[in-house]
Amino acid sequence: MTTLLKNGKIYDPAHQKNGVIEDIYIKNGRIVAKPNATEKITQTIDLKGKIVMAGAIDMHSHIGGGKVNIARMLLPEFRTYTEPEAHICTPHCLHHATPTTTETGFRYIEMGYTAAFEPAMMPINARQTHLEMGDTPMIDKGGYAMLGNDDYFLRLLANNADQKAINDYVAWTLHASQAIGIKVVNPGGISAFKFNQRRLNLDENNAHYQVTPRAILQKLSRAVYELGVSKPLHVHCNNLGAAGNFQTTLDTMTASDGLPMHLTHIQFHSYGTEGDKKFSSAAAHIAEALNKNKHITADVGQILFNQTVTASGDTMMQHLNAKHANPKKSVIMDIECDAGCGVVPFKYRDQNYVNALQWAIGLEIFLSVEDPWRIFLTTDHPNGAPFTSYPHLIRLLMDKTFRNEMFDKLNLDAQAMSNLKSLEREYSLYDIAIMTRAGAAKLIGLNNCGHLGVGAQADITIYTDQPDREAMFSKPDFVFKNGELVVKDGKVVKVVWGTTHVAKPAFDIAVEKSLDSYFEQYHTIQLGNFKIADDEIGNDGRGSITVNAKKND
Amino acid sequence: MNSAQLNVQFVTCPACGLLCDDVQVKSTDNAIKVQKNGCAKSLAFFEQVTPELQPTIAGKSATLKEAIAEVVRLLKQAKNPLLDGLSTDITGFRALFGLAQKTNAALRHTNATSIARNMRVLQSAGWQTTTLTEVKNHADVIVCFGSNIVAHNPRFFGRFIDMDGMFVSAKNRQVIVLGNTQKTSNIKSDALEAPWNLPCRPDDLPSVTIALRALVAGKALKASEIAGIQVTDLQKLANILKAAKYAVLAWVAKDLDFPHAELTIQNITETVATLNETTRAAGLALGGSDGDTSANYANAWLSGFVLDENIPDHDAVIWVNSFSVDKLPNNTPHPLIALGVAPPSNITPTVYIPIATPALDCAGMLFRVDGSVTLPLKKIRENHLPTLSEVISQIEALL
Repeated sequence: MTTLLKNGKIYDPAHQKNGVIEDIYIKNGRIVAKPNATEKITQTIDLKGKIVMAGAIDMHSHIGGGKVNIARMLLPEFRTYTEPEAHICTPHCLHHATPTTTETGFRYIEMGYTAAFEPAMMPINARQTHLEMGDTPMIDKGGYAMLGNDDYFLRLLANNADQKAINDYVAWTLHASQAIGIKVVNPGGISAFKFNQRRLNLDENNAHYQVTPRAILQKLSRAVYELGVSKPLHVHCNNLGAAGNFQTTLDTMTASDGLPMHLTHIQFHSYGTEGDKKFSSAAAHIAEALNKNKHITADVGQILFNQTVTASGDTMMQHLNAKHANPKKSVIMDIECDAGCGVVPFKYRDQNYVNALQWAIGLEIFLSVEDPWRIFLTTDHPNGAPFTSYPHLIRLLMDKTFRNEMFDKLNLDAQAMSNLKSLEREYSLYDIAIMTRAGAAKLIGLNNCGHLGVGAQADITIYTDQPDREAMFSKPDFVFKNGELVVKDGKVVKVVWGTTHVAKPAFDIAVEKSLDSYFEQYHTIQLGNFKIADDEIGNDGRGSITVNAKKND
Repeated sequence: MNSAQLNVQFVTCPACGLLCDDVQVKSTDNAIKVQKNGCAKSLAFFEQVTPELQPTIAGKSATLKEAIAEVVRLLKQAKNPLLDGLSTDITGFRALFGLAQKTNAALRHTNATSIARNMRVLQSAGWQTTTLTEVKNHADVIVCFGSNIVAHNPRFFGRFIDMDGMFVSAKNRQVIVLGNTQKTSNIKSDALEAPWNLPCRPDDLPSVTIALRALVAGKALKASEIAGIQVTDLQKLANILKAAKYAVLAWVAKDLDFPHAELTIQNITETVATLNETTRAAGLALGGSDGDTSANYANAWLSGFVLDENIPDHDAVIWVNSFSVDKLPNNTPHPLIALGVAPPSNITPTVYIPIATPALDCAGMLFRVDGSVTLPLKKIRENHLPTLSEVISQIEALL
């Protein structure tokens, strides 16, 4: 079975292909070189005039695990449209903030996304996360394991454990939780909240352990680096959402001593305190620092105006934010001496000063960061907006006229505080392909995804070139997953199941000795049951594990 | 490894929501003996002797193939069946959910009423809660509201309270029982002081909990006594909660069996929210059985909704009961298909198919009652019982 995609206009930044007309051959789920003249081509699709990109990769989207499921349980009103048959679904429908696992897979693939990564997988909750991702069809998935607020790690730090002990624990956690990366949320802060500390700055001590967020970031970023894990430490900075937090964010960039770090949903961490309302855009400072600090990458976490729900591991800041909950209810949970979670519904409104400025700040960052390989397109689904609004966001980035029209509708005080209209930049298709494909694959360390070279997994999305980029990116003509045609004219035509991407760096198994006694004394489950076996993911006949080899530096 | 070691192992016990996974069992010729860390519930579960079971149609022995054909015939006739009981693990629930989608069936768990009590609170105001490892290591004050926790979760105090945690020693913990104070002697040990009991009748809990909520919020009460409890005692309790570093307010929804119990639970969770303005506190919903948390959670990610309490109109019933012979279906005028650990003793089902019990006859997976931890179950007996998923996939193949 060889498929030929003929005459497509190829956007493949991993191979510096910017709109060249080329043919692509697919065999056994992979992209292959042009076969011999004797080999039979089973299927040919003429893509004359069509745009061809690799399947898109969402490097940060809350698609599974405890807090997402709590959001579903908390908010039945998001799903109570009365007659499902008569319901005309739009990308901005409420229920996209709390999709079922099936809806998650379907909506992603219908937009041409072939992979999504759950960025806040608590190791103790990883089994649930994998169960949910296992019930998510169509796409590849993976998770970043949360560390840095767990008591085992904080005890290591407080006892001045050496870097090797930390590296072994980090690697063990990657294996045990079947993760591809490591995340830290409000370093030290989730733990501090359990001791009734309400705020934590980068150089302030966690009151119980007497360790700083900076020390946590230093140790974790070094562990990830020394273990050879491709995905840099994924950092949700301290002081999420607080006016004036941009300084924490700038300081955080220095915490890893030049080692790679990824600052996530940076829009929520780019706030100043200027103006009458003591809330302002610090996007220019943040973008300047991102441009300068080549070891730092970031995703934006753009907000868009609508009802949604925020789900975060950051109990300290979510407890503070719970007073803004809309509807007025929230869940705050301390979890297993591992971390926590906070689920707070939000309604972002364009006539609200703060919300309008948040919208502008996100776009200011997108347009001011020069290198598209180091900035990523996210809404921190569902925190800023559901992932189904990506096509709208892409249009905002690619279409200055459209963007300015939207800007003109904002709260006037917010307009006065933003320089968005002075930013002339429009993203190109090539830039979008970097941000959502090649860059994301490179960042996470997916060697066979995000590009269209020979040997790549044949995850391919084909669009009709339309001036309305929202319409174009909402509904691809064709999507191939592992070489199979799964979406035609924006609708799923075949149900398939993707793989789970993991990283498994080598480590010293002796780490289990001290973990064993910690579990025995303080935990409530057996160490053996904390670990997720490979066959737990593959044994239903649908899932599989793909181990991504360590990078060659 | 010799054979004596081979048949002794640690297993996860599904008999209550705690899912103790330190239970040691020994199996000899398929007979299981709990050797270590057992409780009354785990003994009853693991040491149950299952007779040789056969499928039946109208009470008469049948082959599995015949029974499945009869189930398919009944389901083809039914327009809206009810999948009732739902006592199974996550794997089994996923299979049942698929069957429900194919047959337009409604889902109702045997613990639907107590699930709904908690879910109504969650969906109206949210809550601030904690999990068992946090309780073990942080909790310095534990208040049990109207619930006989030991009866539901026999090892709760022994495993999580009656011992030193990372940040609190057993002797510095205080247990307070409000409402049902029977069997509080079970929760005491030498390390732990006897609990402070404030008895009241279950149906007085609404007024007692709202009074406590008011006192914690700093409001003065005119009454000097509420449902036989001195307000000075309630004030003392409020002061203890406010002075605690990490108070845990626990309840078992099943025990709060009176009209609008959700308002009482909400008094508890809103007391927690008020405490969290100045100190740390957390709610803890305990109890749990028959995979209720698992069914509710898996239903949420598969359907987007929590499990419903209502019994909708239906014209056939599939009763699923994987764990305990004591759980029985409601009487029904409709065809009753029973899939379970034993044929129901109260009704002769139209069709009965024996199925494997997760944690005995097959592996599986369950959520712990605190909702954040999922634990694997092991197969420890050998027999030919099909799993629930296997039976359902055979049914679906013929539908």
